[in-house]
Amino acid sequence: MWEQIRVNKRNSVILLGLMGAVLCGLGFLLGFAFGGGPEAGWVGIFVAACIWVVMMMVSLFSGDQILLASSRAKPVTEEVHPQLFNVVEEMTIAANLPKMPAVYIINDPAPNAFATGRNPQHASVAVTAGLLARLNRDELQGVIAHEISHILHRDILYVTVAGVMLGAVVLLSQVFFRGMFYSAWGGRRYSSRSRENGGGAQVLIMILAIFAAILAPLFAQILYFSLSRKREYLADAGAVRLTRYPEGLAGALEKIAGTELSMESANKVTAPMYIANPFRGRKAVNLFSTHPPIEERIRILRAMSHGAGFKDYNQAFEQVTHRVGVIPPSAVGSEDSIGIRQGALPTAEEAAVKHPQHQIGDIIRKVNGFRFISCSCGLRLKLPPDYNGKTIRCPRCKRTLNI
Amino acid sequence: MQCPVCQTPMIAIELDEVETDYCPECQGIWLDAGELEILLEDADQTRRLLDSFRPAETTETARLCPICLKSMQKVYVEPSNKAVLIDRCLKSHGLWFDRGELMQVLQQGAFDEQGKVAKLLREMYPPEE
Repeated sequence: MWEQIRVNKRNSVILLGLMGAVLCGLGFLLGFAFGGGPEAGWVGIFVAACIWVVMMMVSLFSGDQILLASSRAKPVTEEVHPQLFNVVEEMTIAANLPKMPAVYIINDPAPNAFATGRNPQHASVAVTAGLLARLNRDELQGVIAHEISHILHRDILYVTVAGVMLGAVVLLSQVFFRGMFYSAWGGRRYSSRSRENGGGAQVLIMILAIFAAILAPLFAQILYFSLSRKREYLADAGAVRLTRYPEGLAGALEKIAGTELSMESANKVTAPMYIANPFRGRKAVNLFSTHPPIEERIRILRAMSHGAGFKDYNQAFEQVTHRVGVIPPSAVGSEDSIGIRQGALPTAEEAAVKHPQHQIGDIIRKVNGFRFISCSCGLRLKLPPDYNGKTIRCPRCKRTLNI
Repeated sequence: MQCPVCQTPMIAIELDEVETDYCPECQGIWLDAGELEILLEDADQTRRLLDSFRPAETTETARLCPICLKSMQKVYVEPSNKAVLIDRCLKSHGLWFDRGELMQVLQQGAFDEQGKVAKLLREMYPPEE
């Protein structure tokens, strides 16, 4: 287990180093191409390194806040959704985390979830309203356990920092292409100078720079995505270990896979954070896939019939995919066997609440400042904050209601 | 959320666990993804209804989905004797029914044998005298 965390931390450092190198290489070539000499290339490296350091600092200290804000996640209190808090608390204890992560709800009908933060002391878990509406307690527990596993495996820092770095590489190559565009308009000064220096080398560097500017973002993206796929399997295995109930997560993934909704609040950089790819309609698995195919993950979980440990997950993984297991040998070897528990029957409360969607909708409306009015005919009216009228006519019984 | 027709704020109304978004101006109904299923209380029927949509060629101006603000697709609802023209968001955010259209769809399509949904709708939207 600790070995695995160490491997993860080392991979993260290697990845960040590589991304830094890509960034600096790009900076050098761009500086060379625009400044017209190696000395300008060093300035390029310096600028790229500065960007790298600033981005690292920003992502370390407020990366989680940036990602939560860009996903339009809202912090919630226990009163808003007691069951969610209960499950997060339970999994915090099971995973032996030092502190319960902050809980956020994303106002999105597509079911999904992610975790972010710097370390287990500063972590957040965000789930969408659509997820809360569709899953039962066991399934919600599976998803939360998957996210808590990401926190436990230190994946959250990696995804947060790597995401911000990827943004930096993309930004720099954008700057290059725009720079090229503008220097083509007013670039007389540069071109005359390059003729003095002997144009051949200059042209070669320029071509190299163009290639680098095209390839660097792709390269950085492949690095980022390939590592994030393996981490999904590991988090699945961790989730089963924490819940001792593979069917919970399998059922949740099945429900997530069953929806045709794309997430409005996700983008290319935040996509690898989510438990399942937030974009629909891209089936093929390739270098750019952020997630392993969800059907395969479900099949692996369903193939776990003997126990809920890492060893059992590894066996199921090999059986389903015919590839070498994803779990590091040290984590498999040193483990006591963990049994699978029975699934819980739906509680009376769950059976009674027919459409949790509306409850969730009401919660989000309350957060967003809606006013609730009940007409004496039994109809409930929910008025948005931008509804200006003083009165409203009940559409059912035609009474005029005061707001 | 703005009404795709009047561009005024819509209100949500709820009766016996059925919730819809409703425009007080034009009395149109917006059904979010998933709300149709709650309304029909049956996943198979919902699938049948959604599968029966046929893109329509019409000169009516396209309306914008109140969620993603992209143009919605005009579709005919079948099976029915007289096809009803409704608007569907291409990103599956939901469906827009002009005043009375939802009731027409449910009655003509024989989707509601017991007439329970239609009764509820008739209570919610009684025909104006």
